Amino acid sequence: MSFAFDHVTKRFGSVVAIGDVSMEFEPGLIYAIIGPNGAGKSTLVNMAAGSYSVTEGQILLDGRPLQGLKKYQIARAGLARTYQNIRLFDQMTVLENLEVALSPTELRHTWREVLVPPYATRAAARRRAACLQLLEEFGLADMADTHAELLPYGRQRMLEIARALISGPRVLLLDEPAAGLNSGETETLKHRLLRLRRPDRVMIVIEHDMELVMSLSDQIYVLHHGALLFCGSPAEVQANREVQEAYLGTDDDLDSIRELARHRRAGRGLRHETGVVAHHA
Amino acid sequence: MASVSVARSGFRAGRVLARALLVGAVLAVLLLMPQAGLYYVRLADDVLIYVLLALGLNLVIGYAGLLDLGFVAFYAVGAYSYALLASPQFGIHLPFLVILPIGAALAACFGILLGIPVLPLRGDYLAIVTLGFGEIIRILLNNMDAVTGGPQGVMMIDVPRLAGYPLISPRGFYWLLLGICIIVGTLVLRLERSILGKAWAAIREDQDAARGIGINTVRVKLAAFAISASIGGLAGVIFASFQRYVSPESFTFNESILIVLIIVIGGVGNILGVITGAIALIVLPELLRGVAEYRMMAFGFVLAALIVLRPEGLVPRSFGPARLARWLFAP
Amino acid sequence: MTGLLLQQFVNMATIGAIYALIALGYTMVYGVLRLINFVHSELFMLGAYFCYGLLAFGFGGIGSVGALAVTVAFFAVFALVGFTGVAIERIAYKPLRQATRLAPMLSALGLSLFFQSAVQVLAGPQPIRFPSIFPGTRIMVAGAVITTTQLGIVVLAVALMLLLAAFVARTRLGVLVRAVSESPRTSALLGINVDRAISLIFFIGPGLGGLGGILYASYYGIMYPTMGTIVGLKAFTAAILGGIGSIPGAMLGGFLLGFVEVAGTALLPVLSGGILGTDYRDIFAFIVLVTVLIFRPTGLLGEQISEETMVYKRDY
Repeated sequence: MSFAFDHVTKRFGSVVAIGDVSMEFEPGLIYAIIGPNGAGKSTLVNMAAGSYSVTEGQILLDGRPLQGLKKYQIARAGLARTYQNIRLFDQMTVLENLEVALSPTELRHTWREVLVPPYATRAAARRRAACLQLLEEFGLADMADTHAELLPYGRQRMLEIARALISGPRVLLLDEPAAGLNSGETETLKHRLLRLRRPDRVMIVIEHDMELVMSLSDQIYVLHHGALLFCGSPAEVQANREVQEAYLGTDDDLDSIRELARHRRAGRGLRHETGVVAHHA
Repeated sequence: MASVSVARSGFRAGRVLARALLVGAVLAVLLLMPQAGLYYVRLADDVLIYVLLALGLNLVIGYAGLLDLGFVAFYAVGAYSYALLASPQFGIHLPFLVILPIGAALAACFGILLGIPVLPLRGDYLAIVTLGFGEIIRILLNNMDAVTGGPQGVMMIDVPRLAGYPLISPRGFYWLLLGICIIVGTLVLRLERSILGKAWAAIREDQDAARGIGINTVRVKLAAFAISASIGGLAGVIFASFQRYVSPESFTFNESILIVLIIVIGGVGNILGVITGAIALIVLPELLRGVAEYRMMAFGFVLAALIVLRPEGLVPRSFGPARLARWLFAP
Repeated sequence: MTGLLLQQFVNMATIGAIYALIALGYTMVYGVLRLINFVHSELFMLGAYFCYGLLAFGFGGIGSVGALAVTVAFFAVFALVGFTGVAIERIAYKPLRQATRLAPMLSALGLSLFFQSAVQVLAGPQPIRFPSIFPGTRIMVAGAVITTTQLGIVVLAVALMLLLAAFVARTRLGVLVRAVSESPRTSALLGINVDRAISLIFFIGPGLGGLGGILYASYYGIMYPTMGTIVGLKAFTAAILGGIGSIPGAMLGGFLLGFVEVAGTALLPVLSGGILGTDYRDIFAFIVLVTVLIFRPTGLLGEQISEETMVYKRDY
């Protein structure tokens, strides 16, 4: 099992959003992709999930290129994602949000569900049990029958991650999972994500919250202007001057950011001051 | 304390009694309807036909969130199936029970044929293309004189027979329609609860995210289109066998709109809403007979007023059959 | 041969200009509210009836109308239909802005039924002869017979469209309209009075549609309560053809549809060896519509919208 970007380029007209980027991902590890706004992080996710076409190069899952597959086929191949701005099925209950994502190939057996009542009862019970278990893990079981749109923001994030997980994906792409969360929620998120590590699963997190990234990931890819700037462990990334400059600006900027960081005690995240707007609805 | 609990249990008993009476009243109306005057039975037949049509269209509009403004085309396909396969038009006289599935299947085929090119379109485009399709079918019916009899339509359609008995009175049709409505209603309810029903809801809420979790949206939408079309076809076959005369007049754009209105005014995506809507919109013009020539004017005005005052419909989506059952049988 | 071509060209331009004029109302409303304004076809019909009423009862008889009376009637109809449009928006659409997108569309359909039946009750369901509002002279050019009515319709419709284009592009109010079409929410944040812009759109769009009704009725010399249905449908088709929400698109779409319809009607019996007659004229609009949408879903001049940048997740 392997997942890789192989010399991937994405152009929008004449603008190069991603230029010849190669990344490899080992199962069992948690990866972070970081970089300033506009570095091309979301473009990578959107290409992997099939929302954008790949201009050049290949995205490989188990050595098989993903391009040319439809979005739903990519999902069925084992790649699940969350969205930067939460996209839940608002008017469905929390439980239904998971049930519908559990196993899309089951759609084929709908006619049995409609015409054979005992089969339907069994299928429904099985689905419900599987989904409730995951909801339990994500602390959402008490709201299983609430419409997703009525959940508080932090729990919507959790539900979206649970929805991505329910089908047992081999590649899990989380696009800014901590955006808009308060520090307590971010802490909970971190512990949940750490527990999702599986020997057969690649986890990729795109995130601006450096504290979370550093404590969560095994390996970090740094993107800058659509190109790969650096790759290494959290310690290596922190020690690398080039990354510091690209991501945080020059030394002068760094000072002012340190200044801002002192205000964190007031309860506002560093991310907000550095210009990363939380994607509240 | 004691008096409070006595009062409470008395209240509870009263509530149980009230609900039992309500259920009894609905059953009594359903069972005794055919004993009423012919005018009322005909009206009930009309309501049931529209319940059937709205059940079908509701799959597409209410569950899958696709606005189909040409639903009447499938109704027409069903009606003309019976008209052409059981009349002197071509000298073919197939039995009613054989044409019933043929009509439904033909309509489903039309649904798929229309759906394949059209379903990638979004929202308003889909609405307007289905509208166009409905008009094309009507114009074709109007102009293909050799096959459909043109504007004159097809006359002298066979009397349908069920188990050897001719079905000719509105009372007979009442039972047939009621039976079919119950069967179709049950199936639709089971569909809604199935995984397919949930996939429809997911597409309705966020088509792109639905793809992202592995739903083949085109196929799932096609299923909605085909099933809904087949219900429309079914209604068409019964309509033709009941009227024993079909013409393009019966399948205008206004008919499509009436069915959409039934769904929206009743309550989108809810079987109880569909039934309420059908009763309201079919009975309302009859009630307005008192104002004679101003009838349609008043009808249009009331429609607009209903939508403005209750945009979510008479029965909210959340008050579905499950809620009703819980409410009726809860202690 | 050239005469025949010229003849068909003029026929096409006439009907196309009328479609374009009506399509503008659909496209402007859609641009702001994402609403198919189904009542627009009845406003088109009302235009003809209002005009007839004014000429017959206001100026002492339909037979003896002078140029002045016609001009006055034109302005009066524009204002009357325009205010009807504004009133409809206030009563039937504004309360529904927070509801689903289906709701205003259906309240429009209810009103459409109301207006159609109201006219049927007041003026009778039977067709009424409508006078040509232009002096009835025929001009022979290269074997083609062109009536002054046709010329008048084309000139007037094109002038109205140019006026609208200039209004939207040059005036302050026009900027308002454009801003609100682009993004009502951003406009509101910038302090633009969105309601006023919407009212303005619901004045101009229906007003133009009403004038379209006069032109249509005087072209065919007839008006009837249900005349809006099929014409409205075709005009909406034209709006989609050009790219819904785009004002130049609606103009282009109108003329294009006129062209397809006239050419198709003329050629179809010839091409099919008389099997398919001119009865199929009304199908053309829809076949063109379906084809265009399948190959170019945003219409000819519409903007490409990718799903990732969609503002709303739900269609209905």
